[in-house]
Amino acid sequence: MARYDSILDACGDTPLVGLPNLSPSDEVRLWAKLEDRNPTGSIKDRAALSMLTAAEDAGVLKPGATILEPTSGNTGIALALVSRLRGYKLICVMPENTSAERRQLLELYGVKIVPSPAAGGSNQAVAMARKLAAENPDWVMLDQYSNAANAAAHIATTGPELLRDLPTITHLVAGLGTTGTLMGTGRFLRDNAPGVKIVAAEPRYGELVYGLRNLDEGFVPELYDEKILHRRISVGTADALRRTRQLVFDEGVFAGPSTGAVLHAALVVAGEAVKSGSAADIVVMVADAGWKYLSTGAYSGSLEEAAEALDGQLWA
Amino acid sequence: MSVEVRIPTILRTHTGGEKLVSGAGDTLSALFADLDTRHNGLSGRVITAEGSLHRFVNVYVNDEDVRFTGGLDTKLNDGDSVTILPAVAGG
Repeated sequence: MARYDSILDACGDTPLVGLPNLSPSDEVRLWAKLEDRNPTGSIKDRAALSMLTAAEDAGVLKPGATILEPTSGNTGIALALVSRLRGYKLICVMPENTSAERRQLLELYGVKIVPSPAAGGSNQAVAMARKLAAENPDWVMLDQYSNAANAAAHIATTGPELLRDLPTITHLVAGLGTTGTLMGTGRFLRDNAPGVKIVAAEPRYGELVYGLRNLDEGFVPELYDEKILHRRISVGTADALRRTRQLVFDEGVFAGPSTGAVLHAALVVAGEAVKSGSAADIVVMVADAGWKYLSTGAYSGSLEEAAEALDGQLWA
Repeated sequence: MSVEVRIPTILRTHTGGEKLVSGAGDTLSALFADLDTRHNGLSGRVITAEGSLHRFVNVYVNDEDVRFTGGLDTKLNDGDSVTILPAVAGG
């Protein structure tokens, strides 16, 4: 069935496609979960819909309310769609070192953007938004970093979809941002498919993004529970971009740079499975497509030029 | 044996501004003890008084987060690359 009453009903149930050319063998296979096939083109549609609906059900969101959210882009765009259709105003605190497409999309949906300084990345956006929320008690901050409904979306939908489509799954590899995707999907798989390894691919940005004034400005999302993960792999900008291009060249899948980081980690896992002679079905979570990053230079010129262009940008 | 260690901007006050330093040690805690002899105070910024990693610091050995590989007991080999980074948010 591919008919829906509204675009919000078309959230989730995304395709899982094989990556036969990147898979090292018939026994060790990679599978891409195409989350760009969600209403606003990213996995965050699941979280946004879940958080907003939970707030409505709890009576926190009254008609016409103003929502405030710190975001590096995708969550903001996803919230913008739901807010638009359900009659809420949305204010997003977003680091200034995010792509132009993200700002344009938010503005198109009628969102007010409060820019936060590039240095310190999302940490600064979170801190600013939490301060603004305290100063404006009538605004509702869903707070994707601490909101249980973020992870719950993946326990209810993403996890079950994966197990339905790939009962032989051995590894889940996904990007680490709010940690909602990995916490929710990981928790579901740990409970329902024991033995599946939960692997986080963490983007390693340029130095500017880590430009905190002191270590106490560091930030670990409240949702994060280390016990859900088996492994956490750090992937630099150059490797992420190289894999993003490889995904286009070898498989025809046009994904955002964070997916390149996920693929890089997945290939590490796949290589180890081959070496140890074990079979593996590895899920590569494709959080979004590449459209919103075209202006950053991530897809043009040499890899060196692209890596340089993305230095200091929040590309995941 | 020698291990190279990448130092984040915020901790370079301990390394005279150097972003890449080298050290030695069979484990991560031995490495930090060694680094502290030349880069006074560095160890204390990364490891708490209780002997665990500071909550807002992540340490990677060859790109693997050490919290999943044995923490400060993580074994090191000649030529390994250690990266220290402050914890930042995504999303």
